[in-house]
Amino acid sequence: MPPKGSKKAAATAPARTLVLDNGAYTIKAGLVSAAPANPSYDDCVVIPNCVARSTRDKRTYIASELAQCKDFGELAFRRPVEKGFIVNWEAEKAIWEHEFTGAGAGEGLRCEPKETNLILTEKPNCPKELQKNCDEIVFEQFEFAAYYRCIGPTLNAYNPSSVGSFSALPQECLLIIDTSYSDTTILPIYHGQLIQSALRRLTVGGKLLTNYLKELSSLRHYNMLEETYLLNEIKEAVSFVAPSTQQFSEDLERTWKGRLGDKRELDSSIVLDYVLPDYERSIHGYARPHDPAKSRMRRGLQPLQGPREDLLPLGNERFAVPELLFNPTDIGIQEVGVPGAVMQSLSILPEALKVGMLANIVVVGGNSLIQGFMERLQSELMALVPAEYVLNLTRAEDPIKHTWLGAARFAREPERLKQVLVSKAEYDERGSAWLGKKFAGGEKVA
Amino acid sequence: MPHVEVLPNSAASVAPGWTYVVDTGYDPSKIAINPKNKKRVAAHPGGARGEHELTSRQQLAISRRIAELNKDNDPKQNIQIPGKTSTPKTQNARRIIQYQRQIKHWLDDEEAQLSAPPPRGATAASRIAAQPLRRSSTMPSIPPTPSEATPGPAPSTIPRPVHRETDDDILMSIERSMPPPLNPVELEALLSAPPLSYAASHVGPPPANGPPPRHFCDNCGYWGKIKCLRCGARVCGLECKDAHEATRCLKWA
Ligand SMILES: [Zn+2]
Ligand SMILES: [Zn+2]
Repeated sequence: MPPKGSKKAAATAPARTLVLDNGAYTIKAGLVSAAPANPSYDDCVVIPNCVARSTRDKRTYIASELAQCKDFGELAFRRPVEKGFIVNWEAEKAIWEHEFTGAGAGEGLRCEPKETNLILTEKPNCPKELQKNCDEIVFEQFEFAAYYRCIGPTLNAYNPSSVGSFSALPQECLLIIDTSYSDTTILPIYHGQLIQSALRRLTVGGKLLTNYLKELSSLRHYNMLEETYLLNEIKEAVSFVAPSTQQFSEDLERTWKGRLGDKRELDSSIVLDYVLPDYERSIHGYARPHDPAKSRMRRGLQPLQGPREDLLPLGNERFAVPELLFNPTDIGIQEVGVPGAVMQSLSILPEALKVGMLANIVVVGGNSLIQGFMERLQSELMALVPAEYVLNLTRAEDPIKHTWLGAARFAREPERLKQVLVSKAEYDERGSAWLGKKFAGGEKVA
Repeated sequence: MPHVEVLPNSAASVAPGWTYVVDTGYDPSKIAINPKNKKRVAAHPGGARGEHELTSRQQLAISRRIAELNKDNDPKQNIQIPGKTSTPKTQNARRIIQYQRQIKHWLDDEEAQLSAPPPRGATAASRIAAQPLRRSSTMPSIPPTPSEATPGPAPSTIPRPVHRETDDDILMSIERSMPPPLNPVELEALLSAPPLSYAASHVGPPPANGPPPRHFCDNCGYWGKIKCLRCGARVCGLECKDAHEATRCLKWA
């Protein structure tokens, strides 16, 4: 593809851009060119951002190879991204080479870095030293032609507004709630620029929820401490957020076993039995309503005929685990829940921005897919926001790929891209300290 | 096992090492029918050694457990990268690829740097910029007090609408005019404020006048009405007390 435009900068900027939303759990990736067609969710590939090792089949799986895995039992993970930041470049480099730049990379994503731009997202509040490591690896090891690193969720401003029509300009006021694997962040964004001092972060993310469910199940039923993959699968299958704290209390009653001498029958309209996979006949488990008879059988008496079944009963774990997003203090995390975090973030903004942000809240990130999450968030925000404000809360159509899509829309405007990209030649001339300042200063700093 | 009645008012422990917790402030199962409880608690914020206060040992135990739940990688695991990968092309790249540090080490470095005295020649402005902004841990209706606000970018002096108004107020406020237009100077200060440090970016605790924290049975997850005197954990009854002692008592201490 011939380079577009006549200016010097344009002559060196390739027409193709690798857009990476490099999350701790998955990488969202796609190659974007300045084609007339708008990018869509279908252009985004979701790749596990891990190297996994099975002690059973003695195989090590890199990133997308995990799809070939048939036995997730005791599967151990090595994740290059910790708390949302790329920490281990040995592993991340291996994954990027495997998926994007190496000879074995898949057709759709393979690229020659010297002929490709890179847009790489990062979490907010990344330590400067880690940013520097990242920049140096991108240019010195991968040798991308040009590069832009920015805070991922801010690029959602380039997605079409849920209220307005499509425009190439960023949305004026946008409040992103990004509830993802590593944590949950609240980001007020003005014309595509994050208001840094108003950013707020909650410790609770999908990882903590999975680990919490793992801890509870291991305490109450089986030792499952090595079964991260399975517990994540169970969490996604059975979790729900109670509609209110009052309903939470009622559900807690419905799932209580009672006391000695006053046993209660578990309410099978809420308690589930999860049939665990045996990794021989089945790779995945499934949930069904709790059956007390089958549960008793589990305690030693397996059926004489038919396959053996291992059941994990799930009662209050179903809603007490995701409840941490709304009440982190339930396990002693001294933080307010997501709705309160939104209010804390907005509290330092001037009135006009507050009005704009409340009228355009978009939720991204995998935890927003937990059943009941949006309803609870809506009702608790309604209670906190004074009635004279317009409150508009939506979940992105695909909350996992939405940030990538914003980045892809941003990347397909050559003029806009030119303003933010730094070429390898510039980096070689001016160095990583200069680059760090340039990316920190946003678009206005030359 | 003999049946042992748990008496709400007995100050003595029901079994060695246990005490019944008299939750005077808040019973989540009664919140709907007894809303006045909320006000009683609000009238004595942080009163002398309430049931919700934790010893420093308990606090340490909790933070250990949260750190455990929040762990990304198991440092004991050593998963080698299989196959052939490219060799480092520069000294920088080699050094970075060889790092075996975890995120904790980088964040500790960041905090240490922020608390270190600024290098000679640094201007006052850059010192302020290098420091994370103070956050108010209170709810939005309370603007930061002057001593809390930084002298740097735009302390929010804009009046907030009064929170939780009566019905009359709300009716009147609907009639209110549009919010004041954005002050360009203030906006510029907001947009150019530096990022917070990772540690400073966390939200504050719930408001002091909200419902107190809920306590759950450490074993089964039901309400925790009985408190273990050895480790401070709560359980729902005697059955779970036994299970707790056999499993997790003092685990995080
Ligand atoms: Zn219990
Ligand atoms: Zn104990």
